[in-house]
Amino acid sequence: MAIERSINWGYSISRPRAVDMDANEHEAAARLLRKLPELQACITCGSCVATCTAGNLTEFNFRMVHTLVRRGEYKGAYDELNKCMLCGKCRLVCPRGINTRAVVMAVKRILGEY
Amino acid sequence: MDILQGEIFRYYDHFVIPFNIGVWVLFAVIVYKYVRWFSRLTPEDKSLVGRGLFSRKVFGAVGEVVSESLLHRRIFRVDPLLGYMHMSLALGWFLLIAVGWVEASMHLTEGFAPLHAHVFYKFFAPSPAGSTAETVLSNVMDLLLLFVLSGVALAWFKRLRSRALGMKRTTKHVVGDKVALAALWLIFPVRLLAESAQAGLKSIPSFLTGNLGEWMVSALGEGFVSGFSAVAWWVYSIVLAVFFVSMPFSRYMHIFTEIPLIFLRRFGLRSREQRSAFDHFQIEACSRCGVCIDPCQLQADAGIGNVQSVYFLRDRRYHNLAGEVASNCLMCGRCETRCPVGIELNTLRLNSREKFSALPADDRYAYVATADRSSGGGRVGYFAGCMTLLTPRILHSMERIFDTAGEQVWWADRDGGVCCGRPLKLSGETEAARRIMDHNSLLFARHGIDTLVTSCPICLKVFREDYDLGPVEVLHHTEYIQRLLSQGKLEIGKQDILYTYHDPCELGRGCGIYDQPRDIIRRAGRLAEAAEIRDNARCCGGSLANLEIGESSQQRIAASLSYHYRQTGADILVTSCPLCKKTIGRSFGEVKDISEVVAGAIRQ
Repeated sequence: MAIERSINWGYSISRPRAVDMDANEHEAAARLLRKLPELQACITCGSCVATCTAGNLTEFNFRMVHTLVRRGEYKGAYDELNKCMLCGKCRLVCPRGINTRAVVMAVKRILGEY
Repeated sequence: MDILQGEIFRYYDHFVIPFNIGVWVLFAVIVYKYVRWFSRLTPEDKSLVGRGLFSRKVFGAVGEVVSESLLHRRIFRVDPLLGYMHMSLALGWFLLIAVGWVEASMHLTEGFAPLHAHVFYKFFAPSPAGSTAETVLSNVMDLLLLFVLSGVALAWFKRLRSRALGMKRTTKHVVGDKVALAALWLIFPVRLLAESAQAGLKSIPSFLTGNLGEWMVSALGEGFVSGFSAVAWWVYSIVLAVFFVSMPFSRYMHIFTEIPLIFLRRFGLRSREQRSAFDHFQIEACSRCGVCIDPCQLQADAGIGNVQSVYFLRDRRYHNLAGEVASNCLMCGRCETRCPVGIELNTLRLNSREKFSALPADDRYAYVATADRSSGGGRVGYFAGCMTLLTPRILHSMERIFDTAGEQVWWADRDGGVCCGRPLKLSGETEAARRIMDHNSLLFARHGIDTLVTSCPICLKVFREDYDLGPVEVLHHTEYIQRLLSQGKLEIGKQDILYTYHDPCELGRGCGIYDQPRDIIRRAGRLAEAAEIRDNARCCGGSLANLEIGESSQQRIAASLSYHYRQTGADILVTSCPLCKKTIGRSFGEVKDISEVVAGAIRQ
């Protein structure tokens, strides 16, 4: 670990990570998709992240958050989405016409308790 | 005891019981509501009322009550026939009560005459003395009744053909309103029958009830008319009672709410971004006339029929407002400019959203504290806004304009910045919005600017309304460019291009900027105006205020708008909002921001 931190190799290795779909609870994700079925049209192109006002200033990745939420990974999503300023640029660049602001607000409303 | 009974029952018949019950229920509920609303006003609002009551504002309010609550002048502006319908019912009924009171007071001189003796005067009237004054009064009363009946007839006709009264769509009423409406429609025809029968039996002469009564007696016989009369008075009393009892719980509460609303508004009370007791006065002043439905593009273009201001206010009043209704509004403000009661529809919509928004975290937007990517320096600050950063042509045009005019500019957010906060505010996250507004205010103060120019009307509105920027003058780029042009710092040449102009909601209705962009366009080319412009201009459909509608609805609204502008035959559609430009650009040929037009026409 010490070596990993001290030497800059110019690249890094992602920590092993797996989403356990069986262990996760999917009710909240299902509610989200019922409210905004258009989210299923997402092709995870990342345009929303590329244009994001908040993402320009801090670590915030809308694509990652909503992708994880849809797979039942709710931990931290609420706080992460609180970084969003709802400016709406992502909605204008989304090639699938997804109401991204509505996604942010719906996830926060649904996940309020997580 | 006998004398007392004689006193009380001098003007009495059993049929007055329903009427009396109705009146007292109505009176009790109204008093309860008034006491509740007034006592819950904030201390500041109460002191405004206290000061207002002893000022000249009272006279203005009385005048407005006459012109709006009785004459309904603002509805006349929507459609003259619709105005007449509302006026005949309001003014007509008011005069029937007032003149009827005079008539009754003149003749019911024997002892105490209770309320019902005035209302059912024809029933209790002594046989005619035949004086001139009496004849004149009963003819005046007939004329007024005819006036009201013409309004009722129009109201029936409006159910069949609303377009004849200037309305494409009318309000879909709830059951309570339908009951009240049915009672209201019955009151005057039944009154006509009851009074005519009575006039016929007592031979009271007058052109309507007198003649009709005379004919009834001659055609049907006195015995029949006498029985008919008894039934008619009962029915009249019952429909009055039904109407009175349903009044405070239905749309007809507006009659008793609009009057205090007019006074309070004149005293300076306004709805705010947080809910307040004053909101009740506005919400219950809605008569559900439905004038707000036709201008709503969600109705006309997107086929959404349950979110218009009339339905929003109704749902909010009866405490069954759904988040989907509260947040499904473009907040373009077209309905607000038409509302005959002058209700602050946008503000009420906005302050209803807070309860549907998520709870903010305490450390929210901590990351903005260090965000300062501004560049350059000068007395003029330029805040592009998120949407302008997404439309770089506007940004480059502004750069060109600043350069040509030789202005030293501090660029607040060219390389990324913090949002202005209005989108959050529109989403009901008022407290969160305040955090980033505070950040931006500090940023502007730190860089010592005295003018702040923005290209985004959304930012402009929030800078002007919610920021406290002290001496810093906030300008939209249309105002700023017009100033440069008239100062001679910037010169543009006139080209042979036919432009048409789209008023952005936040700039036009929101900030009252209509003339500056038109002046600039006329300097750069020719201007062909569309049919619906200025405070009646349509929304592009991309409004950040609507949190519900999807892509297809947005595009339908924009397509209808583009069609509207293509009728002008213009080559280029000019607007002055980056969001409008983006939204309309999908369906109209060439859309330019006004800064692009100016930058392209600069004379070197």
